[in-house]
Amino acid sequence: MKIQTISLLSCLALGACVQPPVFTGKNHSFIKSNYPIVSVNGNQVEPSYKVDLKPGENILVITYLTYQHDYYCTFKWNVTANTAYEVVDQDNRYPLTLYRWIRRNSLWAVRLDPVDPIACIEEPTHNQQSE
Amino acid sequence: MVHLSIYRYITFMLLVLTANACITPVTDAEPIPGLSALSDTVVRESAIAFVNTTISPGLEGATLTVDDGNRQSEQWRSSLGFSAEFTLKKPIYNGYWGMALIGGSLDDKVDIIGDSGQPVHLDFTRDVLALRGSLGLSFPMTQHFKLRPYLSLSVSDLQTQGTFDGLVTTTPSGSTSSTGSFTSSAQMLSTSGTIDALYSRWYGANRLELSAHYTLIYTDAFSEDNPVLETEAWNDVLQLKSRFSGPTNLSTSGRTWRWLLYANHSNFLSQENISLGYTSLFEFGAGMEWQMNIKPLDWFGWQMIGLKAGVITSEHVDGYFFGITAR
Repeated sequence: MKIQTISLLSCLALGACVQPPVFTGKNHSFIKSNYPIVSVNGNQVEPSYKVDLKPGENILVITYLTYQHDYYCTFKWNVTANTAYEVVDQDNRYPLTLYRWIRRNSLWAVRLDPVDPIACIEEPTHNQQSE
Repeated sequence: MVHLSIYRYITFMLLVLTANACITPVTDAEPIPGLSALSDTVVRESAIAFVNTTISPGLEGATLTVDDGNRQSEQWRSSLGFSAEFTLKKPIYNGYWGMALIGGSLDDKVDIIGDSGQPVHLDFTRDVLALRGSLGLSFPMTQHFKLRPYLSLSVSDLQTQGTFDGLVTTTPSGSTSSTGSFTSSAQMLSTSGTIDALYSRWYGANRLELSAHYTLIYTDAFSEDNPVLETEAWNDVLQLKSRFSGPTNLSTSGRTWRWLLYANHSNFLSQENISLGYTSLFEFGAGMEWQMNIKPLDWFGWQMIGLKAGVITSEHVDGYFFGITAR
């Protein structure tokens, strides 16, 4: 009985590790970023790490912060409905890379279809996010 | 009394295994009967050097052969582990963590001349199994350069077995023998501080990575059956690594393979040559990496998995590495 309970709890715990994406509206998508999103489709926004998106072409500016420079990276791509996207720092050619995020199972997700920024503008650091 | 005699044998074994004792100056401790050129210090340094050259952060798998005339040894190390950065959203710096299960073995054969001029042959095996955890921070200075300080804690279990031939000893019962064997064990707790300086640059689709890694290690050793290994020590290791990679036309499940060339240098700065027969290693090799790009537990990125093969060399040392890499 104990083993069954532990097994059940383990399955529930593992099942909770990677959750399916939850969209805010029909045909909506979203993007999660490890770095602050400061502009959405030409509009300046309060720095945020998750933004809802509508299908079609979207343009986002995301800042990658270092101690010497701030990099303002502009992504332009066609958003597909009911899709999760993710922007991460992976030491690629540009400071940030955009991926389509797919939940594969309870244990892991995959990052597919990398998109580079169309430009990353380097500016002296403002340290506005520093500790 | 019996215990003392056994202890003498064990001490002797441990000392000799450390190798080319003929050229080692004695700096301390009481001489071992019949082998006054060896000291307790050499035994301690040898045991700790073996553990450090196996478990230090940044070291990868290796199989090494040392041959310098009086000493022939085979050493291997291997690890199963992973390390990655994780993003802290508010501050500029990120976090860094790592875990590894590490194993290694040393088979040391040493021919040495005893104080009476008789040849003594030692055949020694050490095995170590360790668990290491690391936690630290990563400071991106620019897009291309970052500094990464982190602390690691390692717990190691060291088992030693040996035989000797040629050293005449007297047992408590009064009989004499020229051969014998012994075993001993020790547990080591290592605390190490590492600072990595990492530089990378892209040239088209090719990527150059250069890095320097300095690790300062404090080791506390405990042994119930060998007081010589009840000790503590400070050591440091410097590693310089370079790597050049580029794309291939191969792809699996829509994700590409990249080729890579690498060259590494490891310098065990505070290690004496007598401890293991070397103090530095050079490694060159090549490999292939697949951009797997998964996110386990939706927590950290696992970008690459690949195969790598290389040769390792140094004075009196030949070796190789062939294995799976992940990052």
